[in-house]
Amino acid sequence: MIDRIGEVIEASTTRFRAQREELDNPPAFGSFVKVPSGPDITSYAIVYNVYETSIDASRRPMAMGLTEEELKAQQPQIFEMIRLEFEAAIVGFKDQGGAVKAYLPPWPPRIHAFVGACGPEEVISLTEDLDFIRAINALPGLPTDELIAAAVRVAYQNRDCDAEFLVKAGQEIAIMLKEEYERARSILRRVGHVG
Amino acid sequence: MSDKAADRRILGQITKGSLISGLQAKLSDNVDIEDVRIGTFAVVDGDRNRFFSLLKDVSLASTNEDILLTPPTDDFDRRVHLGVSTYYELSLQPMLVAEKDAPGATPLPSTTVPPHFSTVFEATPEDVEQVFGKVDEFHPSVGSPIFMNPTIPVCLDLRKLAMRSNALFGRSGCGKSVLARIILGYLMQTDAFVNLVFDMHNEFGWTATSEEGGSVDSLRKLLGQRVAIFTLDPKSPLYGHGQAYDFEVQVPLNEIRCSDMELLGAELALSQAQRETMYKLEERWGEKTWLARFLKLEPQEIEGAAEELGATNVETLKVLSRKLGRFKKLPFLKEAVSDDTVRRIRDYIGAGKHVVIQFGRYNDLLTYILVANILTRRLHEDYARDTDAARAEGREGPTPLIITIEEAHKFLDPSVAGSTVFGAIAREARKYRLVLFLIDQRPSGIDDEILSQVGTRIVGKLDDERDIDAALSGRPNQGTLKVLVNNMVERQFLLTGYALPMPVVIDAKEYGSFCKEMQATGGRVRGELERRKLELTGDDELEL
Repeated sequence: MIDRIGEVIEASTTRFRAQREELDNPPAFGSFVKVPSGPDITSYAIVYNVYETSIDASRRPMAMGLTEEELKAQQPQIFEMIRLEFEAAIVGFKDQGGAVKAYLPPWPPRIHAFVGACGPEEVISLTEDLDFIRAINALPGLPTDELIAAAVRVAYQNRDCDAEFLVKAGQEIAIMLKEEYERARSILRRVGHVG
Repeated sequence: MSDKAADRRILGQITKGSLISGLQAKLSDNVDIEDVRIGTFAVVDGDRNRFFSLLKDVSLASTNEDILLTPPTDDFDRRVHLGVSTYYELSLQPMLVAEKDAPGATPLPSTTVPPHFSTVFEATPEDVEQVFGKVDEFHPSVGSPIFMNPTIPVCLDLRKLAMRSNALFGRSGCGKSVLARIILGYLMQTDAFVNLVFDMHNEFGWTATSEEGGSVDSLRKLLGQRVAIFTLDPKSPLYGHGQAYDFEVQVPLNEIRCSDMELLGAELALSQAQRETMYKLEERWGEKTWLARFLKLEPQEIEGAAEELGATNVETLKVLSRKLGRFKKLPFLKEAVSDDTVRRIRDYIGAGKHVVIQFGRYNDLLTYILVANILTRRLHEDYARDTDAARAEGREGPTPLIITIEEAHKFLDPSVAGSTVFGAIAREARKYRLVLFLIDQRPSGIDDEILSQVGTRIVGKLDDERDIDAALSGRPNQGTLKVLVNNMVERQFLLTGYALPMPVVIDAKEYGSFCKEMQATGGRVRGELERRKLELTGDDELEL
């Protein structure tokens, strides 16, 4: 059973959008999530966008000039009108045999499938193969530099801050961007700022 | 140790290069650059062949110019880029090649290069043995490849060494004399060649001064009666306490020719006019008598002599008399001698003994050059005559003779090399069964033509660029060898040339271990050991 943090409301082969039932504890940027994608397949994805929006597209929220506490006390119904959504890019999956692959699964997740947060073991096995960095880099239209740095930081923290992993991931970034030294450096700076 | 690739230490992988400019390899990530040293003997495993190579350079390389403009600043950045954006390159010079599947095959000069990504290994003792052979009487070990275990032998092919003139170069204090003693010791031990050593600094006789300043056994002590000691200075403190000389060298004045004086030109500071006057003296008074007669002239007789010679400046003659007057102080120069030194040398070498001529306290250049030149000239005449006669009669000529001279540049200076006997011997190569072993610290002073005739060169540390260039002149891969010589320290020598299959830098053998080896096999001590062994086997109850 997935300890759910959201439910898929829109899906494609490369990414999906999920809605969270509560407004608290939104998934972090760069965090790893999982979602079933067909029979016995679990897709892994990285959260790249989190947003709060009105549940009614025709009604735009208005500035109220009150703190959150004051709002909760005076206008509690407002929070019923807001929903929290997040988007995640699929970077790998676990196949029927239980093997973790760092490339796209054959099918996208189904709408209404439940999304769960990945545990440390899953993060470790997914990021064992540093190809996940290339998978992120290949995602079109996303803040990939930020996402790579955030994903590497998460993977590092899930490994009890293994410095060796951080260097290897950094080298993968440097190899991938060997023609773009300055870009590699800027990502590495963000990767290096951990702990 | 087996030959399996797994047992070898990997240094890197070949990435590019050519036979002429050498090979480039990327250093393996797990090898610390600070452990990689120039001069290391390395092998490259191609598909079918093994390439024996010398590591000639290490360099820093990068995949991207940008990293050089804004280098990593923190430790994390440096570690990330190491081996990814920046890496190390090894430059190797392939020298020899042998088939991998034919262990023990004699490696031949390399005529091709290994394929891309061939693995570069550190050489193993087996590789050294495959290239330099096994130790035996004619292939003694003179040291071990640098950065390798000192028990791994680099063998010198003595038969090849004795076929050509050879040279040992190095500045003073680099261990040249010790290595010379080791090589001469091995040459003498074979009995296949005879040696004549002009021992300027009294190091090749009974004892020598060790590098630490003490006294160590030298050739006579190590090889016993096989080495005869001739001396110019029988009263020298070198002799006594059971350390006797075998023959006192006396040089008759009638042996000294004007051409010998040419060699001494620099030592005596002879002007052109003084030289010409000497030739005139020789012409007038006879080749054999001119010097004796001239030295006997009293100051008041000089003017008369000038008149007799005709058109000779009295002042020139006076200066010449003063300069040549130095000869009067040399007690071994005699008008009449009791025994002919050259004949005695021939007797000794005819009996297979080696002769060391010691100079005792007369170890100045003037004496050394004069005596070495006169004796060698006569020996050369004898050898040329005997060899030609033997050839005509279809029999074997005299035993090959190796003549060792120190301060060789004084004999082989370009201005005199053409006219001296040493120049002739070097040029004739082995025609008259005579070769030279030159020991020198200023190879740049030696005539180029003579250097080109030197078969095997042993080069120690040299400071002067010109000396390094001269010591290596004409050698293939001179650039590589120069780098090696520049990076050597005391007691390290580059061996290159005829007696070696490929150039190699060695840590010279410890003199102590050489002495032990000689004592185990050498003349006097061997006899002593055999006698004791006989005693022991004859009396079982004798305790050691």
